[in-house]
Amino acid sequence: MKLSTKCRYGLRALVDLAVFSERGHVALHEIAKRQEISLKYLEQDFSVLRRAGIVKSVKGAQGGYLLTKSPSEIRLSEIVSVLEGDLLLIEIDDPEQTDIRLFLTQQVWTRLNQNVSESLHSICLSDLVDDYRMQQSGEGMYYI
Amino acid sequence: MRISTRGSYALEAVMAIALYPDEQIISIREISERTQISDNYLEQIFSLLRKNKIISSSRGAYGGYQLARPAGLILVGDVLRATEKSISPVMCVEENSSCGKSANCVTRTAWKKLFGAISETVDVISIADLVRDFNRKITWESVDYSI
Repeated sequence: MKLSTKCRYGLRALVDLAVFSERGHVALHEIAKRQEISLKYLEQDFSVLRRAGIVKSVKGAQGGYLLTKSPSEIRLSEIVSVLEGDLLLIEIDDPEQTDIRLFLTQQVWTRLNQNVSESLHSICLSDLVDDYRMQQSGEGMYYI
Repeated sequence: MRISTRGSYALEAVMAIALYPDEQIISIREISERTQISDNYLEQIFSLLRKNKIISSSRGAYGGYQLARPAGLILVGDVLRATEKSISPVMCVEENSSCGKSANCVTRTAWKKLFGAISETVDVISIADLVRDFNRKITWESVDYSI
């Protein structure tokens, strides 16, 4: 049970974008360099994020990306469902239902899916940005 | 990010065994009939569950399986950890695993919170809880409410 690289890298890139886009758009290659993620990989991620309306692109030689809304309005549940396709920890669609399977679906699997969604919904992109800023004001090196 | 069929079938099979009285040895055929999971698939799952001391087996003509410890001491999380490679959403939140940046990584903090939500859900429910609720539900459903 693992989140895809696409999702993990995507979130890092979005935190980076949120931190560095306060004074204007950020070029993808800058994010790639800071986060040590291949530019090609980021281009794919950002095309998905752009279509989902989480980021918008600024065209031109000095082009780049911006978030479409404030980081406090972007929840991790939205980011993960865009990059993973959904938020389900377990798929519930088996037509051959036995009494035990039905029971476990109701008592365990649905609850597990709900708790995953709620946990991701409770975290905003701005929480991660705040963490980053707070750590930066301390000592040592901090990472996104 | 998914729990596999193997993990969910494992929980069904353990539950099927736990529904029988304690000490009773259940044949793989009985478990297969109850769960509609094939004998072959059950054998694969049971070898993992046996290794992790969740069930034990006995050989012979009347051989079969039983829980290796009381149902109250087996958590849903134990069954999933025995059969899934891992129940963590990212590698870096597991024990003894870090990328060198992990102590001060803000995305890891978020994934840790998610891992916490998953662990808390599966480690608060024991097989005994499930059996109790299952039997209660069956009783409710068989109650005739007509006057």
